[in-house]
Amino acid sequence: MGKARALVKRRKAVRNIRKITRTMELIATARFKKAMDRATEAAAYTRKINEIVADLASADLKFSHPLLQQRAETKHITVIVLTSNRGLCGGYNGGIIRQALARIREIRDAGQACRLEVSGKRGLGVMKFERIAVDQAYTQFEDKPGFDEVNEIASRLVADFIAGRTDRVEIVYQKFQSAARQVPAVDTLLPIGDLAGASGAGGSGVEYEFLPSAEEILEEIVPAAFKARFFKCFLDAAVGEQIARRVAMKAATENAGEMIRDISMEYNRARQSQITSELAEIIGGAAALE
Amino acid sequence: MIAATQLRLVLVTPETTLLDEPVKSLQFPLFDGQIGVLPGRTPMVGRLGAGELRLQTERGESHYFIDGGFAQIKGSVVTLLTNRAIPAKDINLAAAEKSLQDVMAQKPTTDEGFAAKQADLERVRGQITLRKRLH
Repeated sequence: MGKARALVKRRKAVRNIRKITRTMELIATARFKKAMDRATEAAAYTRKINEIVADLASADLKFSHPLLQQRAETKHITVIVLTSNRGLCGGYNGGIIRQALARIREIRDAGQACRLEVSGKRGLGVMKFERIAVDQAYTQFEDKPGFDEVNEIASRLVADFIAGRTDRVEIVYQKFQSAARQVPAVDTLLPIGDLAGASGAGGSGVEYEFLPSAEEILEEIVPAAFKARFFKCFLDAAVGEQIARRVAMKAATENAGEMIRDISMEYNRARQSQITSELAEIIGGAAALE
Repeated sequence: MIAATQLRLVLVTPETTLLDEPVKSLQFPLFDGQIGVLPGRTPMVGRLGAGELRLQTERGESHYFIDGGFAQIKGSVVTLLTNRAIPAKDINLAAAEKSLQDVMAQKPTTDEGFAAKQADLERVRGQITLRKRLH
């Protein structure tokens, strides 16, 4: 009976795991929907900002703002890596970290100074293992990043950039392309390259009254556009994490189901052969007595 | 020319669209003082200050506290983009008073520090006066 017992035990264990992974899949699905809603709602802000920028562009204004200027020499680069706090989400963190490490190596090889900021326990763990110094760590961002928290970091980045403490800000995160496709990407946040380009076809042709003046509005709107973009990265990352977790847990649940089937079959065979051998023994014993 | 009679307010924060409804008129703070908007205003883009947003609708008047950002008026739509918008009745008076104390205790030494303190003071005082006036 030894083998059959062990199989029963194993099957029970796999069943428990399946229960857990299925629950995680359901939770991830619910969280993904919420995160997705937040991302769609936040898109309205970015759209409006872009609209105003386009209107400013059509008002014959030269775009000159410290955040838009490409530095002649790039010496200090700030790299921000957005990973998750929790695991069990398939290749999500792996993909981002691979990109990040490659980028950091590239920067170091080029002889530029790299300031590293990592969000998420997973990323921090890897950096510790790789013995790469992390200048700033964040673990407070879960699946609902708040604008106030992100704004704080964004304001500091803007101040650093304007004061010349950093010449470029890059972010490594899971870029959201569609619900079925997210890719880890390295994006340059500062200097802002395509402020006007992102807004598309240009102004709406309405003649505006600018209060106080187009220049001063521009001065304010450039950091606001940066902050909106930065916030969007966090939202994208949150959505990406939940999608990755859902996919990973779905696969795990399916695998567990398959495993249960295989173990059940093996168990039935073992039981059958045991019964057969018992019968054979009894018959054999009876035949010997005759 | 037919006089415009419609006005629509869209209040957007980075996280969500808070309001999207027709209004009769509204008042909000610009960088240098209050502005009132009635239907048929010329298109405008302006910088917002911190203070009270008041709007009159069919159902009555409501109050919000808004904290900087931009206003865009185009046609019959007024869009307010702001970092933070709190309905006046949700302002936490105790927390605001406490942060007023904190801000007062700051001792800035640089120009930026002074400017930040001034902006913070304005924001917190705006919240407190708005909350007190309504009750």
